[in-house]
Amino acid sequence: MKNLLLICTVLLMSALYVAQATAQKQPHKEYAEMKISECNDCHKGEGVTLNHDSDWVRSHRTIASKAGNNCGQCHTQAYCLDCHQGGGINADLTRATFGRDYIPRSHRSDFVQIHPLKSLDNPQTCYRCHDQKFCNECHSRYPRGSFRVRSHLPNGGGQSYVWTSEHSREARRNLQTCQSCHPDGDVCLRCHSSKLGAARISPHPKDFKGGNISKRTDRTCRVCH
Amino acid sequence: MGIKGVSRLLLCMSLLTATAPGWAADIHGRSSTQFQTSTSGLSADQRQSELDEYLRLSITNIDKAGKFSLYGYGRIGQDFSASEGLNGRLYYLYGEYRGLYDKVDFRLGRQFVNLAAGSAIIDGAQVDLKNVGPVAFTLLGGRDVLFALGGGELGDPANTAMGIAAYLTGFKKTDAEISWFRKWDDGDVSRDTLGGNFRHQLLGSLQIFANARFDLVSESFNEVQAGVKFTPTTSFIFTGEYYESYPIFDTTSIYSVFAVDRYQEGVLRAEYRFDDMISVYGGVTREEYGEGSGAFVWRVGTALRPIEPLGINVEYDARNGYYGKTNGIISDVTYDITKNAQVAGGIDFDVYKRDSMTGDEIARRYYLAGKYRLAKNMAVSGRIQDDVDVRYTKNISGRVVFDYDF
Repeated sequence: MKNLLLICTVLLMSALYVAQATAQKQPHKEYAEMKISECNDCHKGEGVTLNHDSDWVRSHRTIASKAGNNCGQCHTQAYCLDCHQGGGINADLTRATFGRDYIPRSHRSDFVQIHPLKSLDNPQTCYRCHDQKFCNECHSRYPRGSFRVRSHLPNGGGQSYVWTSEHSREARRNLQTCQSCHPDGDVCLRCHSSKLGAARISPHPKDFKGGNISKRTDRTCRVCH
Repeated sequence: MGIKGVSRLLLCMSLLTATAPGWAADIHGRSSTQFQTSTSGLSADQRQSELDEYLRLSITNIDKAGKFSLYGYGRIGQDFSASEGLNGRLYYLYGEYRGLYDKVDFRLGRQFVNLAAGSAIIDGAQVDLKNVGPVAFTLLGGRDVLFALGGGELGDPANTAMGIAAYLTGFKKTDAEISWFRKWDDGDVSRDTLGGNFRHQLLGSLQIFANARFDLVSESFNEVQAGVKFTPTTSFIFTGEYYESYPIFDTTSIYSVFAVDRYQEGVLRAEYRFDDMISVYGGVTREEYGEGSGAFVWRVGTALRPIEPLGINVEYDARNGYYGKTNGIISDVTYDITKNAQVAGGIDFDVYKRDSMTGDEIARRYYLAGKYRLAKNMAVSGRIQDDVDVRYTKNISGRVVFDYDF
């Protein structure tokens, strides 16, 4: 009897849960003009966490990046692209524009100076809006060696550099940074190449899947081999 | 290319507005004319003054059933001072047909596409197959569009992207997707990624979410994110999250063969809304760059509305760890003088140390802005900003904008 009661309870709970979980999603188009603060009344009643909180800029990727998302019920693609691709038709008074492009709040004050630090905070973030070529367009304008990269700085007052001890660790931690100034890796290949004259130091990771690259392109391997 | 695209958008609009009487299409959008001047220090270290015309429009109800629509957004600009001259970007221009046989949505043209496995702007098509059960499908593909820093486009015109996704549809409390995304660079496969996305609401106050990208070339997870959002009351949101990433490069880049470290971060964050006048939030992120290096990032902020027309937002964040540290405040004040007039102002103040061999450097930004609504569908606004930092003792930039909604 006890077991039967337990089984019935579990079945009932499961049925209720499945009914809730499979309930139909509400279209949001008619709520597009509402204030965000008013959304909570309905969301809490329906048991669905409000996702447009103050953490939205950082966290919206989980919701917005999936196929079949319902962002389009309230927003046009311009809403996304003004941030991700540099538009400016929606810039409100509090938002700065960089020339003709809207600037996200993350690009604060003197971003040219602090972006090397900010790019360390989740390096993938830069690539959500910028292609690597974007970095190189700017970095290529400056004389090589004029950046404050630790491994490129003189060691004490002499002619030697901190290169040997630092560059490999720096590169592994944020290889995109190297690519900003050396888009073709020409400096790297002076040592990390199998070709005659190079130091033949392997740059590959331990579990390198080189075959997966050569199956997709024959350009890359032939640079060194 | 960008300028041609914008011309196409303008031509398309003029053709539609010149059609015969009886035309039932609804045309809505915004024309925004903007004059901007700034010294960016990025694209050129000289003052740039530019006049831009933005146009965003949607043309709906083109057919009787209201299934066919056109959407467009682009800009064209003339730089009066620097070398960029006439430039433009076509962000999107696509036709959409929804509900073909009540099962297929179709988009054709330049558009922004998103899957868990990747995103892109493409000149191509996206087809969604739905109402065939609890799972819907998306297929997309086209030319991969990359915008250049100074206007126009970058990259090989033959670069392409495509993706396929299957996802749960219609469930109120559950979202799930698996997808595959591939990019080609000059005929070679440059990216090959599987993606997954999951979100589920548990017991009314707990939401779990996760997403991941798996790189088929390096056979490693490019990105993994998993977390919870806990809302015990309508006023309180707690977020706990783990994230890691492994840098992936195009297979056509020599950097794709180099060893890299995995980046990891943990986020704890809480937000509390006292009432309509006060809400506060705060959080900490631990970042690990690999090989013993890391940093903490702290962030606290508040949004105040002590009286209805006045809004105050202040946020402080501090980062301390590998390579350097930053401390800074971002603040904004907005005030609605009347229903049609608004002013705003703000100060950003940052103290940062770029590495162990530099001292503290300071950057400040001050701005004032105002907006006046001339009519229900017309507004004029302006913003002036001064940046004071290690590069500039005074760097004035600003914009004047006239918006017309139709």
